[in-house]
Amino acid sequence: MPSRPSLNAVVVGLLSALLAFVAVVQVRSQFEVERSLSGVDPTTLAFLIDDLHRANDTLARDAGALAARRAALQGGSNQEAAAQLNAEAAQLRVVEGLVPVHGPGVVVTVDAPLTPLDLQDALDNLRVAGAEALALNDQRLVTSSVINGDSEGVTVDGVSVRGPWTLWAIGDPTRLSSAADQMTRALRDDPRVHSAGYRAESDLVIRSTVVQRPFVYGSA
Amino acid sequence: MTLRRTGAYLLVALTALTFGYLITAQLRAELPVPGNRVVRTEALVRTVQDLESTNAGYRSQISSLRGQIDTLEAQAAQRSDTTQRLRDEVAGLRAHAGVTQLRGPGVVVDLGNGRPGAGATDYLVNFQDIQDVVNLLFQGGAEGVAVNGHRISPLSSFSGPAGTVVIDQGNPLNAPFQVVAVGNRNQMEHLMGDASKLGGLRNRQRALGLALSFQGSPDLTLAPYDSALETRFAQPA
Repeated sequence: MPSRPSLNAVVVGLLSALLAFVAVVQVRSQFEVERSLSGVDPTTLAFLIDDLHRANDTLARDAGALAARRAALQGGSNQEAAAQLNAEAAQLRVVEGLVPVHGPGVVVTVDAPLTPLDLQDALDNLRVAGAEALALNDQRLVTSSVINGDSEGVTVDGVSVRGPWTLWAIGDPTRLSSAADQMTRALRDDPRVHSAGYRAESDLVIRSTVVQRPFVYGSA
Repeated sequence: MTLRRTGAYLLVALTALTFGYLITAQLRAELPVPGNRVVRTEALVRTVQDLESTNAGYRSQISSLRGQIDTLEAQAAQRSDTTQRLRDEVAGLRAHAGVTQLRGPGVVVDLGNGRPGAGATDYLVNFQDIQDVVNLLFQGGAEGVAVNGHRISPLSSFSGPAGTVVIDQGNPLNAPFQVVAVGNRNQMEHLMGDASKLGGLRNRQRALGLALSFQGSPDLTLAPYDSALETRFAQPA
């Protein structure tokens, strides 16, 4: 006849089970945390934080400007509404590349057989650095501009464009200069590139404009 | 006899406790750097999450303010023909800038990460991939494009580390990505189906399992651009 387990045996068994449970929980939780963050390195996170700070500052500024506009409109003045609409129209024409513009910026020159992808990357680098107006060899560009390649070379919105390349960017001169410096250093390491450089200008003028197509398919 | 059994139990328990302590101490001793790194990384992740929350709040505020301004301008336009004409003109400019909703036929493109390879990050969708798809859709006659709900503006830029896409002042976006374009549906479908386009992406689709698919639709809606359209430096010449 088997003997009944004593109280001591039960206590020892419970203690062992508890020990095993705590050890497993501790080790698993450590590994779970490690695994969940395994794809994100601190340097990447630090860059994201920097970008988000800058983005939030810009958004806060824009939200403040819009709140001021709303407050002015709440006065009910037609003149105020007309003045605001005129100012917004002028600003949107700049944003959409519909008018010649001037301001501080950089001119980047590259003598190399660049591809449409190279040019798109270069233009995107300048946009990330805050370019508010861009032109490539006198062709004004916005994000929807189509840079393509054909047997003759590169086309911008259907217009043939040939090197050597000159990129004009108006915007924050400090950030644009930094981006242009990095970009031209990288380009000079490219064996295809004969020369690459940039110059900062306090008052750059971009005279070319975008030809805007009316919407055919989309509606508000 | 009972005394001997009790002693044996105590010995077993003591051995088990000592063994458990030694294992735990050993594990902790072997993982000091990862443990600290995790704590630091967690703090950074929390900061990113807080900033993302603030970011979403500002963008929501901007959308709301633009709506309220539009309502106030509509009221002013009812009282003045001049204001109404200006409002009509600005409406067209706003539509092309992407700050108003756009509805029409178009294409939906889905992209997803592939299988992790040996060390490289090529299996992740990156910002250049999204940029290439957006460019192709504009080439195909898109009149408006949005990436994971973020509308593309005339000044939009794409950036971010591998696997992350940052568009303008928006939050970092991760896979899966959905690019929605309203415009010339047939032409966009034709280009998306052209095997000679998006070569790098298609190569990684075959080799690393990246997901890339598209579907046309007769009726899509794009939300308005909800970030800042600043021109602090460029002025009309």
